[in-house]
Amino acid sequence: MTNHWNDLQNTDCALIIGANPAENHPISFRWLTKAKEKGGKIISVDPRFTRTSSQADVYAALRSGTDIPFIGGMIKYAIENNLIQKEYVAKYTNASFIVKADYDFHDGLFTGYDEATRTYDKTKWVFETAEDGTPVKDETLQHPRSVFQLLKKHFSRYDVETVCTVTGTPKQDYLDVCQTFCSTCKPDKSGTIMYAMGTTQHTVGSQNVRIYAMLQLLLGNIGIPGGGINAMRGESNVQGSTDFALLYDNLPGYLGAPKATVPEHATLKGYLEKETPPTGYWSNKPKFVVSLLKAWYGKNATKDNEFGYQFLPKGNKNYSHINLFQAMYKGELDGAFMFGTNPVVGGPNAGKEKEALGKLKWLVAMDLWETESASFWQKEAGSDPSKIDTEVFLLPASASFEKEGSVSNSSRWMQYRWKAIDSRGEARPDLAVIHELALKLKGLYAGSTKSADKPIQALDWNYGSGPEPDIDLVCKEINGYDLKTGKLLPGFGALLDDGSTSSGNWIYSGFYPEEGKNLAKRRDNKDTGGGNFLNWSYAWPMNRRILYNRASADPSGKPWSKEKAVIWWDAKQKLWVGTDVPDFKPITAPNEPGGVGPFIMNKDGVGLLFAPTLNDGPFPEHYEPFESPVPNAFSKQQLNPATVIMEGDFNKKGKNSKYPIVATTYRVSEHWQSGSMTRNQEWLSELVAHMFVEMSEELAKEKGIKNKDQIIVSSARGEIKAYAMVTKRFKPYKVNGKKVHQIGMPWHFGYKGFATGDTANRLTPHIGDANTMIPEFKAFLCDVRRADV
Amino acid sequence: MTKYVKYVDVTKCDGCRACMVACKNWNDLPAEHTDFLGSAQSHPKVTADTWNVLQYIEHENGKGDLEYLFRHSSCFHCTEAACEKVCPEDAISHTKFGTVVIDQDKCVGCGYCVQNCPFEVISLKEYKDKNGKTYRKSQKCTMCTDRIEEGLQPACVTTCHTGAMEFGEKEAMIKKAEQRVKEIKDRYPNARVYNPQGVGGTHTIYVLAEKPSVYGLPENPKVPTSAILWKDYAQPIGKAMIGATTMAVVGAFVTNKFFSKRAEKAEQEDGGESHE
Amino acid sequence: MVEMNLNRRQFLKLSGAAAATLAIVELGFDEKNVYAKTKEFKIAKTKVTPTICCYCGVGCGILVHTKNNTVVYTEGDPDNPINEGKLCSKGTTIRQLYTSKKRLTKPLYRAPGSKKWEEKDWEWMLDTIAKRVKETRDASFIEKEEGITVNKTEKIASLGGAALDNEETYLLAKLMRGLGVVYLEHQARI
Repeated sequence: MTNHWNDLQNTDCALIIGANPAENHPISFRWLTKAKEKGGKIISVDPRFTRTSSQADVYAALRSGTDIPFIGGMIKYAIENNLIQKEYVAKYTNASFIVKADYDFHDGLFTGYDEATRTYDKTKWVFETAEDGTPVKDETLQHPRSVFQLLKKHFSRYDVETVCTVTGTPKQDYLDVCQTFCSTCKPDKSGTIMYAMGTTQHTVGSQNVRIYAMLQLLLGNIGIPGGGINAMRGESNVQGSTDFALLYDNLPGYLGAPKATVPEHATLKGYLEKETPPTGYWSNKPKFVVSLLKAWYGKNATKDNEFGYQFLPKGNKNYSHINLFQAMYKGELDGAFMFGTNPVVGGPNAGKEKEALGKLKWLVAMDLWETESASFWQKEAGSDPSKIDTEVFLLPASASFEKEGSVSNSSRWMQYRWKAIDSRGEARPDLAVIHELALKLKGLYAGSTKSADKPIQALDWNYGSGPEPDIDLVCKEINGYDLKTGKLLPGFGALLDDGSTSSGNWIYSGFYPEEGKNLAKRRDNKDTGGGNFLNWSYAWPMNRRILYNRASADPSGKPWSKEKAVIWWDAKQKLWVGTDVPDFKPITAPNEPGGVGPFIMNKDGVGLLFAPTLNDGPFPEHYEPFESPVPNAFSKQQLNPATVIMEGDFNKKGKNSKYPIVATTYRVSEHWQSGSMTRNQEWLSELVAHMFVEMSEELAKEKGIKNKDQIIVSSARGEIKAYAMVTKRFKPYKVNGKKVHQIGMPWHFGYKGFATGDTANRLTPHIGDANTMIPEFKAFLCDVRRADV
Repeated sequence: MTKYVKYVDVTKCDGCRACMVACKNWNDLPAEHTDFLGSAQSHPKVTADTWNVLQYIEHENGKGDLEYLFRHSSCFHCTEAACEKVCPEDAISHTKFGTVVIDQDKCVGCGYCVQNCPFEVISLKEYKDKNGKTYRKSQKCTMCTDRIEEGLQPACVTTCHTGAMEFGEKEAMIKKAEQRVKEIKDRYPNARVYNPQGVGGTHTIYVLAEKPSVYGLPENPKVPTSAILWKDYAQPIGKAMIGATTMAVVGAFVTNKFFSKRAEKAEQEDGGESHE
Repeated sequence: MVEMNLNRRQFLKLSGAAAATLAIVELGFDEKNVYAKTKEFKIAKTKVTPTICCYCGVGCGILVHTKNNTVVYTEGDPDNPINEGKLCSKGTTIRQLYTSKKRLTKPLYRAPGSKKWEEKDWEWMLDTIAKRVKETRDASFIEKEEGITVNKTEKIASLGGAALDNEETYLLAKLMRGLGVVYLEHQARI
């Protein structure tokens, strides 16, 4: 989230798309309700009328997988009706940049496409630059190759008629959405876009997010109270665990993991030169990288050994979830750890992922429950135990309040949790188990002289001498030290690239600025202004609550409006002041060089309407999902041309003649993720006790299905049984004159726990987004029939 | 003594059901087996172990628009409480706050309160004692009277995040409800305050988005005449006649028919089921 | 233990304060009275510890009431500005994370081809796991690839961790990278 939960109360309009916060982030509605009381509007865009829609002023249905047409049409509407915040767009985005003549777009393809590799040559999408490397601009936005004109041209194809025939949205509803949301282009109004996995879990997931951000930039809605682009995170610490890089392609703090396939990455020097931009805040990257290496390898990280850079593993391919399970299925992996995760319920094509686990030699699962994944070898799972040779270690984990530590919520607030009670039974905190395992492994490697064992030997692991690790030492290591004085660092501004500072995660540096002051523990809940609560916990980076808040002021440093002020330039004090920590150099005056661009992480300090970095094009373009009931109305390119397609029996594709119905998955308020944390709870199990599939009355009639009937849903990957929930809240769509049905189902169920049911993900495909490889859970094809026929 | 009411504005409810779990958590109530009902609703109605149930109603309004309506359903804590009137053991009484509570020590499980409640929010449950002998008790929402006594609000109200529920002085809450109805009339032309006078007003008052019948509520509930007869005439006479300490024994002579509120209810209601 | 100094009295005051209309004095609220009367009051003698909800990413504050070595009640933390004492159905339920009959309470081991779990002690489990990790790592470790130092194993994967504390994710990322693990993924992807 660029903004935060409490800030939702400041919005004039919340566009909720790809999300159902009333069910999945219920407390967000405490703040949205306050916004409503002040006259704010809520828009719910969803394939089905949800509990969120029930609270909305405007509801618009859309067929799953058509976000880009939906928002693309809004962009066209905003431009044509002069509903953009012009000065904001001209000064704070790259709308004025001139794109080189190489760039073009034709029939669904951008220039530079190579069909054989399904990749683009991104050097075809670059800006004209002056001699000093700065981009050439036309702030009148009239130049035919200015980003603004190219964008206008690109989205001119997204007219209301075409959009509605693709999305299936009734035209009047669509226009209501356009009108209501685009009215936030006024400087004294703000609109927020709230999204979640309904947005990202598509083959065009990244571009879905991007097009939301583009709309927000055009309306001048980023960096202001009640604005922003707000990804609602689904797990209590999926934010933190992403910040800390439990992902193959990152090191903590969003530093790219070094790759064997990039020749420059062979050395630290080469890596830093290649990965560090000349301008923008990332120009400090070497300080972050070297300080991380010092935190990880301690005294074993010296100038002479590239600060231990060579100890880091270098991958040579995409190791993300889908690829990981394909490799496991092929027998390429021997062992795996699972920390509180349950892919046999939550993974795409879960039936096959279950089979993949059986190819492992050993599996370690740490959890509070006996999950479907830990017990994948059991008869109940449909397995034959005698044929599965996997050794399984199931470790009982402590619950969140049986240990202490911090979690980072969607708003990036790092809040501390204290221990309320000793762990149940023999359960232990993950921290202690990871620590003990690390010590045991270091012990096993202690005497080795093999060069291969150096990396693990070099790993600095000093968290006290007791049997349990000293969590305070872990916290301080994350924050970082001045290694010359041994003192804690006040923040990442103090990091250096010469090995004299350490920090385990630069973006968190500053949360523990002095001894005894872990700011995640702060509990001063006085509102410091704007609902920002600056003395409650700690928000990374540097306790900022609204990211890009420099954009709340005009180029001269004055707030665009009194109502939406966050920070402003105080000429007397020569400081940026306001109700939040400036997301900007606090002493840089607006008229100084670098005094304007609010998007400090970007090289040019502006928001990217044209993004030459994505794999699938500098502008979002509509492509149909991997499985779709209709041809793409916008071009001949049916599927995202840059999406990797995996062939083979792990990912069978269903034809729309056999599987004509669109399906999607979602969550309900009463369950959570794969259900292990809720289906093992009696109170939640009784609230939603059965697997169900929601469908329209029209579809039910066509299929001879009555409410509460047992039905079978089938896809090219498998079949599941469930109850039919026939509802008025789903309606068939009219797509290009054709009636298209959609159904939806929760993905929480499995065969363990108090509430059990078939697993929806047995139906979902193994294909991912072109940039992130996030699986396309949210739009696939299926058929339904009564179970008794 | 000031009377307090639970104010429920169903138009602010987003259906999260925290009120249901909070009630179980505070009152240590066990989970029950629930069948699939064909909607998001978990239980058809309140039970002895589930003192409040969230209703989910799909309703097409006069304009043909779909409304997805929710209602937190639990004991109304009537001012003229039929349950209190018919209880042969005086196990049911009003507290000083206006809440209606069942004294579990006195309850003999005769079930008259269950039969006479105009809102069907009291339930009987069978328990087993140490010797395996079964006995029955009436159960319902207590409005967390134990919490109120300690200066806390009912658990369901405490947890409600949208402000759909509040707890406060009766007069203030009624005013608030009336004001709220005015605010939402545009969107919900049938909106109204539900605080039925046929039972002397209630201590759970609603802002409803639709007619009561849409929620399966009686438009004009009354204390059954039979209940008044029983409380004001039969019971005193009976007690005087036989000096019985267990009035339920006397009650055994009274057929269920006598107490059948359903005949009366049919006249009062104009239909509408709570779900499906 | 906590810098919050949240004793029972303060808790009552806080929760009660939200209901200003409740006229606490009128209800006979005073400290002595409460202690005299509260023998049976559910949370009269509980220890109260603030935590943050373990479910979604909103980060609501919760108070965990413990007594006699069990969790007797959980309720929203009125001090936490995010939820101001309010919770959803899941947050309210976290009491049952402790009390559920389904909680795993012992390390369990399943041998190759076996139909059942066996209880094992922690020491044996972690020793055996460490051995397996070493065997696999040693057999699969790649030091160089086309002249570039790569120091990795492609035979071990680590999945999950989105519900772990920051400190845990930090140590996990550090250990896995330290071992050369490249198949490192968690729920942000799914």
